[in-house]
Amino acid sequence: MKVLFLDAPYTGTVELCPETLQYFQEKNIKTVALYASVQFCNNLERVKQQLQERNITIVSSQAKRTDVPQQILGCDNYHNSLNLSAEQLQQIDAFLYIGDGKFHPLALAYGQKDAKLFKEIICNDSIGKRFFIITKKDIQDTLNRQRGTLLKFLSAKNIGVIITIKPGQEHLQPSLALEKKYSDKKFYYFIDNTISFDQLENFPFVDVWVNTACPRIGLDDQEQFRKGVLNLNEALGAEELLQRL
Amino acid sequence: MPLYNPELEKAIERIKAEKAKVVCIQLPDGMKPLAKEIEEAIAKETGARVLIWLGSNFGACDVPLGLDRLGVDLLISWGHNRFHKLQEGW
Repeated sequence: MKVLFLDAPYTGTVELCPETLQYFQEKNIKTVALYASVQFCNNLERVKQQLQERNITIVSSQAKRTDVPQQILGCDNYHNSLNLSAEQLQQIDAFLYIGDGKFHPLALAYGQKDAKLFKEIICNDSIGKRFFIITKKDIQDTLNRQRGTLLKFLSAKNIGVIITIKPGQEHLQPSLALEKKYSDKKFYYFIDNTISFDQLENFPFVDVWVNTACPRIGLDDQEQFRKGVLNLNEALGAEELLQRL
Repeated sequence: MPLYNPELEKAIERIKAEKAKVVCIQLPDGMKPLAKEIEEAIAKETGARVLIWLGSNFGACDVPLGLDRLGVDLLISWGHNRFHKLQEGW
C-alpha cells in the first residue's frame, strides 16, 4: 500500500509576537536554535527576518528522525536527537520553538535532562498569539519519578517489555539487548498496537515496565504505569543515567 | 478558513496519478472534523471509495496496519511528513 503524507501547513501568519520580541530584548538574547513543528517549519521566513532585524543569530539543524531542517518531532527528545554539535549547543542562549502546544517543545527540554547547562525554550505560539517559556522546572517532576523507577528497575527481577507493531516503532530487536545487559533479570515481551494502559494490571508479576513504543510514553505517561516505566534507552543505561540525574 | 490547509489538490492529484480506487484518509485529532469535506471532495473529484481512519494518528510512525487486506490502494495521512526510523530504537 502506498502512503502520501501531507504536512497540513498552518494557514495563518507565522511570526514572532510582541511579547516574544520583548523577551529577547530583556534577556539580551543573541543566538537561538530555531525549531518548529511540521505545520510551521516550511514557513519561517518572517520569523527569520524578525530575528535578523534584531541581529539575533540563528543556529539550525535537521533532527535525526525528521524530513526537513528545523523540524522537531515529539520523539526528538534525546541529547543527540537534534544533530547539533557541542559547540553549537554552547553557543546558543536559548531554543526558539514555533508552533502550538507544549508537546513538541518539551522534547527540547527532555533532550537536556542531564545537561550541565539547561538552555530554556522560548515558545512562540503563532495560533494563540502568545509566548511562554519552558525551563527545567517543567520536567523536574518527571525526572524525579524517572529516578525512582531507575532505582526500582535495577533491583527488579521481572521486567515487562512493551513492543508495539506500528511501522515506525516495532523495536523488538533493539529491546533484546536488555537480556545481554541484565542476565539476572527475566524479561517478558508484550505486543500491542497502541499501548492498552488498562491491560497493564492484568500482569501483576511484572515489577517494572520498559517502553519501546513512542519514547514520550516513558516520560509523559508515567502515571499510567503503577509499577513504573522506563524507555528502552534509559533501561539500558540505567546506572549511568542515575549518576547524571 | 481552517487553521491547517488540507492540501486537497495534492491529495486528489496523487489519487488520480495512482489510479487509486480505494483510499484511506488518516487525520490528526485537530483535523478530524474536516473528514466530511475531505471525503466528499475526494469522492467527487476522483470517484474513489474513501475510508476514514477512526483511530490514532500520533505521527508518521503510526501508519494503520492491515489496510492492504481491505484492498486499500493509497493511505493519505495528514499532519506529518516522512519519518526516518532509527534502527537502534530508543
